[in-house]
Amino acid sequence: MRDNISQRARWLACAVAAALAAAALRWWQLSSAFEPPLGLHIPGAQASVILVCVLVMAAAGLAILALPRGGRQPGREYRWDLLFLNTGELVYPALVVLAAFFALGAAPFLLKMGLSQWQDYQQARAALAQGMEVKLPSNNGMLAIATAVGALASFLGLLQLGRDGLRPGKRGRGGFSAALPGVAGCVWLMESFRAHAANPVLWDYGPLLLSIVCGMLFYMDFAGLSAGAPRPRRLLWMAGMTLILSAAALVSALAGATWADVLLLLSQMLAAGGVLWRLSPGLENPPITKAKPRPQTPGAGSIQEETTHE
Amino acid sequence: MENWESEVEQNLEPSQPEPAGKPRKDTSGGRELYLNVRVLVTMMAAFVMVFTFAARIIVVSGPSMENTLWGGDLILVWGLGYTPEQGDIVVLTQENYQEDSIVKRVIAIEGQQVDIDYASSTVRVDGTALKEDYIKELMLVPSYGEGINHVTVPEGCIFVMGDNRNHSADSRYPDIGIVDVRCVIGRGVAVMFPIDHWKRL
Repeated sequence: MRDNISQRARWLACAVAAALAAAALRWWQLSSAFEPPLGLHIPGAQASVILVCVLVMAAAGLAILALPRGGRQPGREYRWDLLFLNTGELVYPALVVLAAFFALGAAPFLLKMGLSQWQDYQQARAALAQGMEVKLPSNNGMLAIATAVGALASFLGLLQLGRDGLRPGKRGRGGFSAALPGVAGCVWLMESFRAHAANPVLWDYGPLLLSIVCGMLFYMDFAGLSAGAPRPRRLLWMAGMTLILSAAALVSALAGATWADVLLLLSQMLAAGGVLWRLSPGLENPPITKAKPRPQTPGAGSIQEETTHE
Repeated sequence: MENWESEVEQNLEPSQPEPAGKPRKDTSGGRELYLNVRVLVTMMAAFVMVFTFAARIIVVSGPSMENTLWGGDLILVWGLGYTPEQGDIVVLTQENYQEDSIVKRVIAIEGQQVDIDYASSTVRVDGTALKEDYIKELMLVPSYGEGINHVTVPEGCIFVMGDNRNHSADSRYPDIGIVDVRCVIGRGVAVMFPIDHWKRL
């Protein structure tokens, strides 16, 4: 068990170190790789090149770490299903519950933004109806409001996940509630995409969109553990990449003071960290056991046989 | 702990011979629902990734590209690995002018000299008059004056104009001016919608 914890800690430490490196490089990139006043990206900027290299190396490194280890006995620490039999594990539920409250904290910011955009849109429509020359805003605020609702759904899903994390056995996997933040991520992704649709600088929003996509797939893979469709190694890889990409995106969200994104990114970073803490590297599916034949009671015939006899 | 050990033993129990007939598939409602949701989420992720890093769908707003493009047309824009060339229809964002993107035609690329003669309604690039059968009508002097009409396009920039020259804010207009190629989102490839406007650009 101690060996298992040291392996998990090593895995988490690798992911956190890569996340810190990505965040530092993103900070360097923001201060050196964009040209004022329009903020256009300087082609071949050193910070951007190194950041891409670090992200690719982290992705490859996590993929290698997630691979199954050959030549070992089947044991509790490598079977993902048996890991959930642990009790008394507090780090994972604490991180997930904290993630739930960060998601909840993002909802008011999103709601405020959405309502303000909605009012602007309605005012422009009213002005147009009066024959005034006004440009109708391309955003009516509905996506931001939907993202706020999604943040509430994430809160509920993550809270349930945290509560279930305290329970041993099958319930500990969280059930379908893990899919709620994943589905909510779709709306967040659409809102972020729409907000940057006219931005020609891909570096401004690429890390954010990638981190949202990784977060969505990570949550869906975690829900798959409860739904009979487990992908434990991909889940670990996705959790690691969510942590790393979210750290990079968090720096730009902080620099741009987009607090809803900051809170949602922190939420998925904490959830990913919790899952990395909970699951071991090199996980495997349980061995496939074939269905046992139903025991026949001597003398008891089937309905068909009885009918035939009659 | 005892529970765990007994469950391990159950799980690692040697398998029994399979009964005749098809093996049972897990078709529980929860699993089916999960798989459907996972497909939708993955499709959404793939869709946004494609429309972020490779192509975009843009809705044309305003009359500046008439008669090539009309307000409300939905155009497919390709951005991956694109370098602007003379004559291309491009989508770009010039934040000096407005936050939304605009659609224009590339008249000249870096190093080329542009001369606009309103009297004869001709645009010359490197001394050669362009044969512009795509413009809507003859050019008139814009309300803001002749604007930028004799210029050599600097390195890494393009000179763009709308096909509806008399109703287009483009590189002639000082607020837009010569456009940095990094402001270009991509090249218009085709009009996708409405169906009767469908054409390759």
